[in-house]
Amino acid sequence: MGALQSLHGRPEYLDLAEKTGFSFEQIRVLHERFKQLSHNEETLRRSHFNEIPDLACNPIRAQIIEAFFDRRNYHQNGEGTVEEIGFEEFLVVMSHFRPPSLHMTEEQRENVRREKLRFVFNMHDTDNDGTITLEEYRHVVEELLSRSGALEKETAKSIADAAMLEVASISMGHMEPDEFYEGITFEHFLKLLDGFEIESRMNIRFLNMDTSTLCK
Amino acid sequence: MSCEKNRTSISLPEPRQGDAVDLSVHRGTLLTSRSTGGAVGRTSVNFVPQVGLPCGPLPPFPLLRVVLQEVPRTWTEVSQGSKGVEREREMEDFWTGALWALKIWLYLIVCLIMFPAMFGFSLGISETYMTILFKTLEWATVKIQKANTEERTLNASTSNSLIQRGGGSMEKEFEELRLTRPKPPVGGDFTLSDSFYFTRRGIESIIEDEVTQRFTSEELVSWNLLTRTNNDFQYISLRLTLVYGLGIFVRYCILAPLRITLACIGLSWLVIGTSTVGLLPNSRIKSWLSEWVHVMCYRICARGLSATIHYHNRENKPQKGGICVANHTSPIDIVILCNDGCYAMVGQIHGGLMGVIQRAMVRSCPHVWFERAEMKDRHLVTNRLKDHVNDKRKLPILIFPEGTCVNNTSVMMFKKGSFEIGATIYPVAIKYDPKFGDAFWNSSKYSMVSYLLRMMTSWALVCNVWYLPAMYQQAGEDAVQFANRVKSAIAHQGGLVDLQWDGGLKRAKVKEAFKEQQQKKYSSMVVGDDSSSSNSD
Repeated sequence: MGALQSLHGRPEYLDLAEKTGFSFEQIRVLHERFKQLSHNEETLRRSHFNEIPDLACNPIRAQIIEAFFDRRNYHQNGEGTVEEIGFEEFLVVMSHFRPPSLHMTEEQRENVRREKLRFVFNMHDTDNDGTITLEEYRHVVEELLSRSGALEKETAKSIADAAMLEVASISMGHMEPDEFYEGITFEHFLKLLDGFEIESRMNIRFLNMDTSTLCK
Repeated sequence: MSCEKNRTSISLPEPRQGDAVDLSVHRGTLLTSRSTGGAVGRTSVNFVPQVGLPCGPLPPFPLLRVVLQEVPRTWTEVSQGSKGVEREREMEDFWTGALWALKIWLYLIVCLIMFPAMFGFSLGISETYMTILFKTLEWATVKIQKANTEERTLNASTSNSLIQRGGGSMEKEFEELRLTRPKPPVGGDFTLSDSFYFTRRGIESIIEDEVTQRFTSEELVSWNLLTRTNNDFQYISLRLTLVYGLGIFVRYCILAPLRITLACIGLSWLVIGTSTVGLLPNSRIKSWLSEWVHVMCYRICARGLSATIHYHNRENKPQKGGICVANHTSPIDIVILCNDGCYAMVGQIHGGLMGVIQRAMVRSCPHVWFERAEMKDRHLVTNRLKDHVNDKRKLPILIFPEGTCVNNTSVMMFKKGSFEIGATIYPVAIKYDPKFGDAFWNSSKYSMVSYLLRMMTSWALVCNVWYLPAMYQQAGEDAVQFANRVKSAIAHQGGLVDLQWDGGLKRAKVKEAFKEQQQKKYSSMVVGDDSSSSNSD
């Protein structure tokens, strides 16, 4: 059917559409949202994210926000963090949550899945060393469980330890008594979540706009 | 000071030989001629006559007339042109003409708009205007839609949402998450995959959250020929552009000055009228007169905004001794509601023009104004409101419980203060039609003055007001539940979304207690159904 949507004078969307796979309509909508969040400035900062009330109730908001500023998610093999992002980076991070299109080969599907899992992995591996250590894991558990005192520190710690043990047993098989488990590497992570239906858990469906993906 | 406008004479030096002198003192203008190599020209010289200012305080219109007669005089004196007399006569004619036009203009306004407004009947002019406007906008919409048929424009669905939210509650989703994971032999019921749920929810909030979008103007389905609502203007047809250009001219050059004049007249009449009524001793006549004055001024102001208001269910109008609550979109809500009845206002005393108006109003009938410091003391506020309400002769109080302006697509949390007083509550729903002009005041973006100017340069203001039946606090219901009940009724009637969020989030952050609710819920899920995890080592 061809490209039947007029661009309304926005040629830069063409670039972004190719890079991220969003349709023009979706990019336009997300651009509106970007402008709304950044109060019409060119770049977004962490403080802008902190103003969203819905997000403030989310226990792992810190990691989610960090994910936007993490260079590893920009598909450019970068490292480290930035202080502010433009619309392009915003869109690239959002594209991790794009629903998979209907016509995809098995290999493409596998790539998409890997990408999404990489995103989540990066979110938890805060010191960027390629593994999720026990410390980082404990941190995640503490964030997710209440810090207000409904759960004691000991309980949270023990839950984290138990979960870590489970991971170790799945990935390493049998361990010697004095062997120390370094941390979850990305490969272990993949193995852990093998068979897990991530496609349905980690995507955002846009209303009224999916029809455009059908006309390819 | 001399009150005379005389022609004054001056004496000139003796003309030198060779100069042809032609003197005439015409209304203070000194004309002289100078010989320049034989040719005789005429030049006029700078000369400012001794014109006395009018003495004593005069009523506005004659003063205007006098001022406007002096302007052309000084103007012609200051100008330096040749052919002075003819030019001067032209200018004079021009200014007389302008003055005459202004007189006609003012008389027209008074007769056609003010008097009907004051006495509450209508000549049908605004109805005709609205019909024309409506037809024009419809035509424009059809034109734009025709041009966009092959495009899939985003349908402004009634839900106003962008993305499909995950249907289930937290519990249901977690059940699903855990189905696909092998149950661990021992220990905590937690894995990294749990964080998927929260990640997705977080990203959903980033794309679209219920609160931030309530503080920007509502998006229109189709363009209504105002520049400010157009996001990307496409050239569609010549006719449309012409209509748009004509619209700009009409709005800025004809409608805006008219409206500003009316607004000024309305406000000054309010101050003068209420102060005058305030001089009378307390009696029934005084309250009747003060009501009349108030309603008159608000009617003039409403005409000043080209407001068309439809009142529904007027049998439920608020009575004396009750509290009227309404959803808040802009300061104009007050004008809208007071067009149909008299209310006592509640608020903080401001300085400046607002303060003058407030002090004048309180002279004729009792309003409840607080000093800034008093507003903090909740008991004081509640007590004063109680006293006012218990006096059955006093007018019903008008309160906007949201506490801030919201963009008229939703109703936010009602503050419980006004519901604790124990009086009868009369809910009122106000809904503006965004096609004709956006009434929402985004106080962080526009100041009050620029907001009013924007209002005066939109097409018109069309709104619907529904009076809802009175509500009482029921036994066993606390103030918060009562407030929510009233809020739902208003939202339902006005076709607005009923939100639990606090309007104060426009400026402040979410309260800590609210944040922790989510965490507590999750932690009870993880810990609650696995008792062995409490045995730590």
